[in-house]
Amino acid sequence: MILIQIALRNLLTHKIKSAIVGGLLIFAAFLIIAGLSLISSIDKSMSKSIVNSVAGHIQLQEKGAKDELSIFGQMGSNEIGYIHNFAEIRKAIEAMPEVAAVVPMGIDSSIVFGGNVLDVKLEALRNAVKAGDQKQSAVIRRHVRRMVALLDDELKNLKGFSDQEKMSDDMKQGLLDVAEANQPKFWDSFDADPYAHLEFLENKIAKMAIGEDMLMLRYVGTDTERFRKVFDRFEMVDGQMIPPGQRGFLFNKFTYEEQVKHKTARRLDKIKDRLAEGAKVATDDEIKQWIKLNRTQYKEITFQLDDVATDEVKAALQAELQSKESDMAKLVDAFMDVSDANFQKRYDLFYKVIAPRIRLYSIRMGDTMTINGFSQSGYATTVNVKVYGTFRFHGLDRSTMAGAFNILDLMTYRDLLGYMTADKKAEIAKLQAQSGVKELKRDTAEAELFGEGGGEQVEDTTNATPTQAAAATPTDAPAEATPAAIAGNAPLSGAKLMAKELEGHVYSQEEIDGGVIRSAAIMLKPDFDVKTGMEKVSALIAAKKFALKPLDWRAASGLVGNFVGVIYAVLAFSIFIIFLVSLVIINNSLVMSTLERTREIGTMRAIGAQRSEILQMFMVEAVVMAGVFGAIGCTFGYALVAYFGHFGLLASNDFMIFLSGGPRFYPALPPWGLPVAMLAVLIVTLISTLYPAWLAMRITPLAAMQDSE
Amino acid sequence: MHMATTPAIEPIVHLSNVDKDYKLGAVTVSALKQVSLEIAPGEFTVIAGPSGSGKTTLLNLIGCVDVATRGEVIVAGQDTGKLSEGDLTRLRLNALGFIFQSFNLVGVLDAFQNVEFPLLLQKKMNAAQRKERVMDLLNRVGIAEYAHHRPGELSGGQRQRVAIARALVTFPRIVLADEPTANLDSVTGNQILDLMQELNREGTTFLFSTHDPHVVSRAGRVVRLVDGRIVTEPEQQSPMSHT
Ligand SMILES: Nc1ncnc2c1ncn2[C@@H]1O[C@H](COP(=O)(O)OP(=O)(O)OP(=O)(O)O)[C@@H](O)[C@H]1O
Ligand SMILES: [Mg+2]
Repeated sequence: MILIQIALRNLLTHKIKSAIVGGLLIFAAFLIIAGLSLISSIDKSMSKSIVNSVAGHIQLQEKGAKDELSIFGQMGSNEIGYIHNFAEIRKAIEAMPEVAAVVPMGIDSSIVFGGNVLDVKLEALRNAVKAGDQKQSAVIRRHVRRMVALLDDELKNLKGFSDQEKMSDDMKQGLLDVAEANQPKFWDSFDADPYAHLEFLENKIAKMAIGEDMLMLRYVGTDTERFRKVFDRFEMVDGQMIPPGQRGFLFNKFTYEEQVKHKTARRLDKIKDRLAEGAKVATDDEIKQWIKLNRTQYKEITFQLDDVATDEVKAALQAELQSKESDMAKLVDAFMDVSDANFQKRYDLFYKVIAPRIRLYSIRMGDTMTINGFSQSGYATTVNVKVYGTFRFHGLDRSTMAGAFNILDLMTYRDLLGYMTADKKAEIAKLQAQSGVKELKRDTAEAELFGEGGGEQVEDTTNATPTQAAAATPTDAPAEATPAAIAGNAPLSGAKLMAKELEGHVYSQEEIDGGVIRSAAIMLKPDFDVKTGMEKVSALIAAKKFALKPLDWRAASGLVGNFVGVIYAVLAFSIFIIFLVSLVIINNSLVMSTLERTREIGTMRAIGAQRSEILQMFMVEAVVMAGVFGAIGCTFGYALVAYFGHFGLLASNDFMIFLSGGPRFYPALPPWGLPVAMLAVLIVTLISTLYPAWLAMRITPLAAMQDSE
Repeated sequence: MHMATTPAIEPIVHLSNVDKDYKLGAVTVSALKQVSLEIAPGEFTVIAGPSGSGKTTLLNLIGCVDVATRGEVIVAGQDTGKLSEGDLTRLRLNALGFIFQSFNLVGVLDAFQNVEFPLLLQKKMNAAQRKERVMDLLNRVGIAEYAHHRPGELSGGQRQRVAIARALVTFPRIVLADEPTANLDSVTGNQILDLMQELNREGTTFLFSTHDPHVVSRAGRVVRLVDGRIVTEPEQQSPMSHT
């Protein structure tokens, strides 16, 4: 009691010492509380983001695979192995009481050419020609002709910049072709042989314009139905879910907006969002940049407008701008030069007048798109798949990391993977021999498919595809052997036919589970933690001798999963440094105050206090200091955490959204935070007290006798 | 010979042939030489002598805060040379009381708590008993009304009264004081001496040092030190010997 009083009164008496020691301890406690809250909350919400979007609690990959699974990690580290006996694995693991579900997966990235405007227009032209609609054909032809002229201009500009010598022969030929198509002669003779002209445009010209809409898509090839049921963050936004058992592709709404949407429209959306957050055009550099791009990239709009649409848009823009300008480029430029005052009006006008006349999304729901992958053996594989709709991961709408994941059905994924076991390869060779299909080379395939430009013949040739694919589908579709695949970027008409055949096909659960996958996600039941789950799953894998390696979500997610570990380390390190500094400073100031108290301590010794009692006094003082200052620091820390826990901390960027599992971040103090902080402060204080206490114990009663100087 | 009655009472302090050397590097300073001394209960003894004569050294040996180089120091029946540090501390706590030249109160504690402190170390009394004992003494030394003042709020004389109360609170066999009045003006010093004398009459044994001749004159017995040696004690003229 008296010792506590002495301690407290010493704190009040030695003001400078108390201020130094107190300041440090308060800061340390504050830092621990705030830091722990931040990190444990990030950990919690991030685990939610990762676990409930793609990773599940535990991922399984092939044991001994060269690369460790890294779901959110860099692309390219692809040797994560294969799992062949998924059906068996699923059965065994789902029988465990801890496990809710096992979802097969293959995560990969591929290139998709979002059929460029020229492609689309050419397809429309072909349809018009086929239907004999002269009027429609003429309108489209004028548009295509203008696009070719623009393309020719652009390529000639480009040519001026680049080194002729280094240009590939293909490229040189391409330039000549485009120049030829830009001749009046070419268009004058169109009606004489429309199919030959169309073919020339489709095969030689369209590919020259292809670069613009190249999309890099990351997707999870999975059992779509199971995925939907198991990952509760998954929800559809537009379109429809892939019908159970069928092939199909779902865009993540985020990817769809970011990559597929018309660039100008997307930039307008972003400006709108930013202004809604309170930004001003004049002061926001990013908004300024977007506006600049919208003004200079006017071709994104004008290129897509045919005669009729051009006139309509022109009239609307002239009215809005109160201008008599007739040059569309200047009109669009002026229109896109938005200000805080007129933005909303122009935004609305854009969506009312311009958007309906352009392709707002280069790939639309219901479209069949072509995914270009690389098979395991290095072949380019090409697969057509129907886009059913868009989805999002709830709360992670704006996260670039979660938003990058699109969803692909497993059968198509396997086609794209082109993975074949030795058995399979032999089987396919046999099938090929039987059906008389030769290994087709790209050039010959094109010639064979489209040699005469006749629609009938295209159908005839591709008819072989579904049969063959269907024969092989129960396990691994031989993507490399399908003519459409070999044909590379074959025009849509041919590829689409193949997709049509496979589109409605419903695969059985056995077929879906039966083939090769890359990894599998295990979702645990709510009552079980990941650690227990890992132990149980590992035990089962060992017992069943599965060639699998389990990874918890943290390890499986790659760098991001380690992120929490990294900030823990950073926090721990900074706390360690602060403690080290505190230790030295507190120790110093306590030594000084001990020296000041030499007479007092000597007196206590003289009148009968044992050394141990002096030590006790110092320890009590340390505990009191730790208690008082630790409590103050914790209170500050807790107040801050409580404040943000209530009002939330705005996640300032996409990564933060991913970390916080939503647009706002609500830190919360974990229950063990307070004791940990207090304990840490106590330990530091006790350690810093050791040396001064030792000094104090060595003070002899003689110190009391010396006269005060 | 007229002191024949005294041997019946066991002396509180008994020193025989005590030397105390201080080693300062190569030089050895002999602070006390062949000192033999007995202090009987009830004495009011002054150690007198010029500066550097060894008064403080002698009190430190008797006060068990230092040990003799040679010779025997027996305090309250215990040979201090043979005691451990813990035992010496216990001896100080239970048998001795100290009054310091600069009062040496614990600054952060009030008068009451300063006086109570040795009782807390003893752990013999409960709170009520302690309170009664402390208040008794504060009353006795005349500063009960300042019980809850801290030393900083008290005058030098008041502080020394608190120190005296603290020295007495454990019913010590002897109270040791090294120049208790040196830091006080002469009036206050006299009042403190009056108090000590009164307490002595009530039964407390005092042994204190001074080089103030006026103080020496009020002593019951004077032990005169010169250069570490006891020079002939003057005739026993103190009032004590008449009683
Ligand atoms: N700790 C010490 N180390 C070395 N020498 C010491 C020490 N304490 C005392 N001395 C020496 O011992 C001798 C006696 O000193 P002491 O302090 O006992 O004298 P004193 O009579 O109390 O003097 P004063 O009247 O000045 O207080 C002196 O010569 C002193 O220098
Ligand atoms: Mg002295």
